[in-house]
Amino acid sequence: MAEISIALRGRAVVSETRHLLFSVMPGAVWIIVFLVLPSVYLMAVAFMTNGPYGQPQMPLSLESFRQLAGFGFLGWSPGNLYTLLRSLWQTLLSTVLVVIVAYPIAYYITTCREKWRPIMLLAVVVPSWTNQVIRTFGWMNLLAPGTPLSDAAQALGLIAPNMGLYPSNFAVTLGLVYNFLPFMVLPLYAAFEKLDTAQVQAAQDLYAAPLRAFWHAVFPQTLPGLLAGTVLVAIPAFGMYVIPELLGGGKGMMLGNLVANQFAGSANWPLGAAGAILMLIATFAGLFAMRRIGKRLGGGEEVVI
Amino acid sequence: MKTITTRIAAALGGLVLAGGVHAEEGKLYLFNWTEYMDPEIIEAFEQKYDVEVVQNYFNSLPEMLAKLNAGGVSQYDIIVPSNYYVPRLIETGLVQPLDHSKLANLDNLKKQFRDPSFDPDNKYSAAYQWGTTGIIYNGETFPDGPKSWSLLFDPKVNASYPFALMGDGQVSIGAACAYLGHGYDCTSVDAWKEAAKLLIDTKGRDTFSGFVDGTPALQQLARGVTHASLSYNGDYLYFKEEDPEAFKNIKFMIPDEGTEMWVDSMMIPAEAPNPDLAHKFIDFILDAEIGAQLSNYNYYSSPNAAAEPYLDEVLTKPPVQPTEEDMARLKFTPSLKGQDLQTFNQLWNEVQAR
Amino acid sequence: MRKRTLQRGLTTFWWATIFFLYLPLVVVMLFSFNASNSAANFTGFSLRWYTRLLGNEQIISAFWNSLVLASVSSVVALAIGSLIGYGMYRHRHRKLGWLIVLIYLPIVLPDIVFGISEMAFFVSIHRYTGLFQPGLGTMIIAHVTFQIPFVALIVYSRLVGLDATLFEAAKDLYATPFKRAVHFLMPTLKPALISAFFLSFTLSIDDFVISFFTAGPESATLPIYIWGAIKKGVSPEINAIATLMIGAVAIAAVFSLMFNRQGRH
Repeated sequence: MAEISIALRGRAVVSETRHLLFSVMPGAVWIIVFLVLPSVYLMAVAFMTNGPYGQPQMPLSLESFRQLAGFGFLGWSPGNLYTLLRSLWQTLLSTVLVVIVAYPIAYYITTCREKWRPIMLLAVVVPSWTNQVIRTFGWMNLLAPGTPLSDAAQALGLIAPNMGLYPSNFAVTLGLVYNFLPFMVLPLYAAFEKLDTAQVQAAQDLYAAPLRAFWHAVFPQTLPGLLAGTVLVAIPAFGMYVIPELLGGGKGMMLGNLVANQFAGSANWPLGAAGAILMLIATFAGLFAMRRIGKRLGGGEEVVI
Repeated sequence: MKTITTRIAAALGGLVLAGGVHAEEGKLYLFNWTEYMDPEIIEAFEQKYDVEVVQNYFNSLPEMLAKLNAGGVSQYDIIVPSNYYVPRLIETGLVQPLDHSKLANLDNLKKQFRDPSFDPDNKYSAAYQWGTTGIIYNGETFPDGPKSWSLLFDPKVNASYPFALMGDGQVSIGAACAYLGHGYDCTSVDAWKEAAKLLIDTKGRDTFSGFVDGTPALQQLARGVTHASLSYNGDYLYFKEEDPEAFKNIKFMIPDEGTEMWVDSMMIPAEAPNPDLAHKFIDFILDAEIGAQLSNYNYYSSPNAAAEPYLDEVLTKPPVQPTEEDMARLKFTPSLKGQDLQTFNQLWNEVQAR
Repeated sequence: MRKRTLQRGLTTFWWATIFFLYLPLVVVMLFSFNASNSAANFTGFSLRWYTRLLGNEQIISAFWNSLVLASVSSVVALAIGSLIGYGMYRHRHRKLGWLIVLIYLPIVLPDIVFGISEMAFFVSIHRYTGLFQPGLGTMIIAHVTFQIPFVALIVYSRLVGLDATLFEAAKDLYATPFKRAVHFLMPTLKPALISAFFLSFTLSIDDFVISFFTAGPESATLPIYIWGAIKKGVSPEINAIATLMIGAVAIAAVFSLMFNRQGRH
């Protein structure tokens, strides 16, 4: 009897496992073959030598990482470092600006009548449904020399006469903020909606100054949303390709453009692959840090990603 | 036009076999610069051989090379690179030799194009058109603009108007070299370094608006985004003809320090789906009357000696046919390879990354 | 008193932000009706760019490519992704950490790294075997890869939201797993599957970077065409195509609102 039941259970386990394999395998294999393998291949390319016309070659070497750090045939030059710092700066700046705009917006939506909220959220999100290239093109048209915005900026003395707001680093920042605003509003809205009003009330009684009440009662509660939003904004912003390419005018190159360039014009696949590895490290480091902070501050609540 | 079902079928075929879309019989895939081909010539060719021509376009040589490397080598029948990319394509095995027995019209080419330095004895290439790269500028902004690169590189000459340089690094570095007195076709590392430094300084000026390819540079100029830039003589005339109002004040100039003369040549990618038809196409373009029709359409100089009697008058004077003095100032962009190319790419990457 | 000023300030700020969000789109739409080819001056109403658009074979071809790419990839992703979603649910008590990591990978990988990895991979394989020639096929593969996680997560969360006793009841009602799937799983999952399909479709239409790097010579989609036109020096038809695409998004927005309303009643 016991033997039979063990055999049955064994068969059940086998069939369960087979079920798991059948349901999960097609997708898992797909992602492994078409994403994990290519990424591993790209990483391998970073350790190869650049051929005479930009194709990866044997032998293996760390030359591409040296080049990424700025060591070329002609000694050290700071170009790549500038680009890296520019990417970090643009990411930081645009994330902070996005938070500054999104925070009041998300709060405002929660103060409105419930039947309006989905419509308001949709109104914030819909522009991001249109293609990134189209949105950026819209800004190109708006900021070019001779447009009302550029003329106004000239009149205020913000830019030199005859110039436009585009192309410039300012245009890139603006494009990034525009692009990522909805990604911050949504998680912040979710956080505000769950706000414990009793706590806020208590804090208002406790502290006379509204700012302190906000700092002690409201802000900590929205922190998980803020962190989730930061992940959703900062990671794609750091690797942005389209916006600096169209709005930066050759002055605003970011890491994404540096990487892409190595696979196009001045071809150097290993260098591009090394840049991609740098981007991956930054991405995973960012995710990891956010998770840690989120766990410590969010009272055990998991951050969305 | 393909129907949606064949498109889906092709896509699914691509998924299942992943062998991609195989060229159908009777189709010629042409990969050319934008605004460079007369649609009537395409129609005439299609009728003559009862085939369909599919055209794709590129704006710069780096872009063309990238597409070719990304699978284009087996998807295009004809490409039209400029002289300094020809050796690079040959050495990387991306192109196949021409079968001269199929090119009866090859001898129509002028002597200087029949055995060019970049491809001895036309083993791989046959000239399509030639032209020059010069400075285009707004004549209203610069009524007495100097015939010099200083219009772009000297902040005293142009202190306050936005300007752009060429997206192709070799042309921009060459321009900087010419301005510095090293000649447009400089190849010494020291000259390059100096030129790169000049470009980085130039980039740092408030009025620098970007590295732009030749055709869009003209559009930007006409729209007032820039006031001085780099472009090609034929494109300049072509757009001026098409929209005289917008291009009324736009001028083209060959700087005295020297600039680029280029030859665009027809080549057949190594794994072209239809090399036989590609040879027919090359021979068709090399025909005297078709060659003239092409120049009459796109305002570039014809390398075809036999075409001369049929050329419009505008093609016999500047800027299409530069003056004797200007002609002496024109240089080919050097073909780089090996260590030189890598050094150059690092310098150009540095210019862009700063 | 102070509360009211705050509220008024917020209302103003809200409308300013909405203005900021819609301004570029409105400008694109406005200038698509411009009689002249100028980005700065509106010289009169005209439909000429729309007529030119209809006569442009490349745009028409790009339109069909976008459509085929989005629909085929969404269907494939729906099949594969919902299977994973179901598997994740059925076996949620097992340790599936590796699967979670795998599913989040396409979401967190920067677009540019995603696109370039696939491009380098396909190109290299193509060089040695002739397989994976860049074109619609490789684009579909890439799109399916980034759609699968979204489908899986939507289906999974719908299943988690269901009452577990329903599954027991279904087990008693229908004898075979196949019948269970047809009569129970499919109908209950229908809303989730529909929204997963639409999300996949939107993601595909929206994507530029990954498409750009995995495309072949003949498989340009609308965003790739627009990118090329911008790089080439702005043909005014771009405003017209962009307007049509914005229009499609607006219609999708209205639908999603209606869908949302229905779902709640």
